[in-house]
Amino acid sequence: MAQVNADPALDIVFNPVERDPQGNIDAYAPLCEEILRDSGARHVIGCTTSWSRKEVIPALERMDGALWYPAPYEGFEASDRIVYAHACPNQHLLPLLDYAFAQFGRRSYLTGSNYIWGWEINRLAREIGSRTGGEVLGERYLPLGTTEVARIVDEIAALKPDFVLNQLIGKSQYAFLDAIAELRRSDPFFAEGHCPVLSCNLTECELGAIGPSAEGVISAGPWFRGLHPALPGNGGREDFGSSLEAAAHASVMTLAQLLNGAPGAEALSLSELLAQRRAAELGISPRTHHTRLPVAIAQVRAGAFVPLRTGAPVEADPYLTRERDPAPVPLRVVK
Amino acid sequence: MRRRLRIPDLGGARAAILHRPHATVTALVRQLQAIGLEVDCHWPDLPASARAADYLFIDVDTAYDDQFPWEPGEAPLPTIALVGSEAPGRIEWLMNFGADAQILKPVGDGGVYSALLIARATFDARVELADEIDALKRRLGQRQTVVQAVAVLAARGKTENEAYEQLRGMAMAWRVSFEDAADRIVAAAKPTHQDESDHG
Repeated sequence: MAQVNADPALDIVFNPVERDPQGNIDAYAPLCEEILRDSGARHVIGCTTSWSRKEVIPALERMDGALWYPAPYEGFEASDRIVYAHACPNQHLLPLLDYAFAQFGRRSYLTGSNYIWGWEINRLAREIGSRTGGEVLGERYLPLGTTEVARIVDEIAALKPDFVLNQLIGKSQYAFLDAIAELRRSDPFFAEGHCPVLSCNLTECELGAIGPSAEGVISAGPWFRGLHPALPGNGGREDFGSSLEAAAHASVMTLAQLLNGAPGAEALSLSELLAQRRAAELGISPRTHHTRLPVAIAQVRAGAFVPLRTGAPVEADPYLTRERDPAPVPLRVVK
Repeated sequence: MRRRLRIPDLGGARAAILHRPHATVTALVRQLQAIGLEVDCHWPDLPASARAADYLFIDVDTAYDDQFPWEPGEAPLPTIALVGSEAPGRIEWLMNFGADAQILKPVGDGGVYSALLIARATFDARVELADEIDALKRRLGQRQTVVQAVAVLAARGKTENEAYEQLRGMAMAWRVSFEDAADRIVAAAKPTHQDESDHG
């Protein structure tokens, strides 16, 4: 916002109103409503989990507000009140599975925290895998916040999959990665480079908390530090800690662009704002409110993400209803 | 029993909406297009061409039987009810007309995608069940033929059980159902003059 306010080429000034729900799921809707009720703000930038996003939608509808959501999510939503500024499955999970099937094999183990993100991402992985000859060896979930990962790690050690798709979040993920690092030291099958752990939402912002156990994790996202350029909406800036920061920055810059040179535009509804031709030029679909984003797959090496594969920006397909080139199906050995 | 939902192919599917021009239609069209469907809006009557659509949305508040080119309960495509008034008479009309899923009005951002999935699954299950019931009814109607066929075979000196087993063997050899095999036996055993009159 400081960048927008200091830019003489933009004829608008942002006045931030901040509220921090501190990760408490019950605080998101009341605080969102408070912003929209007690201030002139119409656009809210925030929320990380799908759960919190779903919580604020009724407040947005009631108070005529808009949300810019800068985190990856599981798709199957297209709210008229939301701009989806980060990746959905055809921009993270699908390219990640293509990569994993080609590089490591088709026998997977699925795990995640017990809520919508992990359930849906793993359901998709199962469905896409089954279409292309994949085999799910196991699937197990943990309650949010738990660190009791031994059973999952024992199962992985016994099943020896080609890769693990990990949708655990927070402390559960940290404990899981620690336990997998231990397994890699004790079992040669899991030595470096074998049976990698994959993620659709791990970014640089958690590497410090995870420490050395993050080594080797492969993640998909629209951007990782060191890639040029960052997101289309960043206008050439690249000094972000992670793609979450980049998507939040792109949200503010895009909103500024959409309001610039259009007196009264701050009173327009989100769908009216996005109906402007420049919204599509900035990469936001007026049909789905999702953002066209590049796709990168990167691996943690020596504490930083190193790109393994990068791709041109992809149009978001939140309901996966568009044609897509499937991963090639390998010939299977019939015994 | 646990069912694994088969996700229908919605990209490029066609939805027909029977509803007067209204904010509900605007929101519904927007949501259907976001999902990837093509939409045709109709009012006040549904043309016969709507049969070719993949999904139908109807306005229960204003709907009546004559709007539709089929009889109540015989919709040839998955039907989703848009329910506003919850007056019992309207719900009664809906129960008679039949719908595979419903959305409460006003239509907002949510509900449309899940209604499409539920309507498709319910419609497919309904069609499958109706086919199964037809087949069972047909078999039930052929019970008399089976009894006659067993009697014909038993008249050639077999016990009833042996005749029954023989009929089963014939059905397998001819690769037809038990009932169809019985039909052949009974037809073949009919007196010749009747046979001639059949072909005359």
